[in-house]
Amino acid sequence: MKVSVKAFATFREVMDMQLVLDVPEGSTIRTLLAEITGRYGGLGELMFSAPGTLRDFVNILKNGRNVHFLAGLDTPLDDGDVIALFPPAAGG
Amino acid sequence: MVGQPKNERFLRQIPLIGEDGQEKLANARVLIAGAGGLGSAIVTYLAAAGVGYIRIVDEDTVEDSNLNRQILYHEQDIGTCKVEAAKKTIRALSHDVEVDAICRHIDETTVRELVRGTDLILDGMDNFAARYVLNSASLDEKIPFIHGAVNGFYGQVTMILPGITPCLRCIVPTPPTWEKNPIIGVTCGVIGCIEATEAFKYLTGTGEILKNRLLLWDGLRGEAESLQIMRYPDCIDCGSSAIEQDVRRFRV
Repeated sequence: MKVSVKAFATFREVMDMQLVLDVPEGSTIRTLLAEITGRYGGLGELMFSAPGTLRDFVNILKNGRNVHFLAGLDTPLDDGDVIALFPPAAGG
Repeated sequence: MVGQPKNERFLRQIPLIGEDGQEKLANARVLIAGAGGLGSAIVTYLAAAGVGYIRIVDEDTVEDSNLNRQILYHEQDIGTCKVEAAKKTIRALSHDVEVDAICRHIDETTVRELVRGTDLILDGMDNFAARYVLNSASLDEKIPFIHGAVNGFYGQVTMILPGITPCLRCIVPTPPTWEKNPIIGVTCGVIGCIEATEAFKYLTGTGEILKNRLLLWDGLRGEAESLQIMRYPDCIDCGSSAIEQDVRRFRV
């Protein structure tokens, strides 16, 4: 199944702005991130403070809904999903 | 005078918003929370366009390191209270705008009084703890809240309509660690002006506001994209269960 990934702000400094991935049935946000952190050097370190622990500024939206409120890293992916990765700006 | 737009001054914008839109601006009461880089851009354009009442709140004094982006202030303002210096700048631009300059920290003990009596809250804060306080007050008092924030060449904006759109907590559930992020004035200008644009549209009923969408600005690449965003039904700040249990107040 196909999943679109969009990266914003500082994530764009280590990965492409947008990519479409072919992922197997049963994929989750965790397996998706494993796939893309494998592709882009430095992305894993930027997103994770420890294996399996996202840094507090990493926000992931699945079709507009924050996966924090779904099943976190275990949120299942569906064909056609749009996954947005963004570190929110906090300054003013 | 408030409620009596200066037609000559607003000649070039009345074709866009109409006489009645100009009247709505003159009668509008807005809160600008924070008089830093975002607040500077927001207040300048709202005052110039004829918004009648502006309450601006910030507890800081002007520092030299502010002047790369906080365009309300000048070298002679260094050391003075930001909101007083802001009021002086706004008054020099227009005597018709009523400016309520409040030098105060925004937290759960002060926020109610600060938001009450306004039609709209604009975000000029520099941290998420204060933004969550404003988010909760916006929900409780049912006052729309325009969220904006900047980091380097990046920024984001969305319009929060209490009970209708996602709230700030639905979009960013946990506060990102606060650091002194790099900031360049132009990004504050871009994001502050987008916030002000949303304010004009909301106050005058013009165009389509940024509701249910998060606009992400990338100044390094000259790109903007708005993502569709959705409410979380059980959000601790705006969800139905939160309202029933009344546990959402001012959680940070």
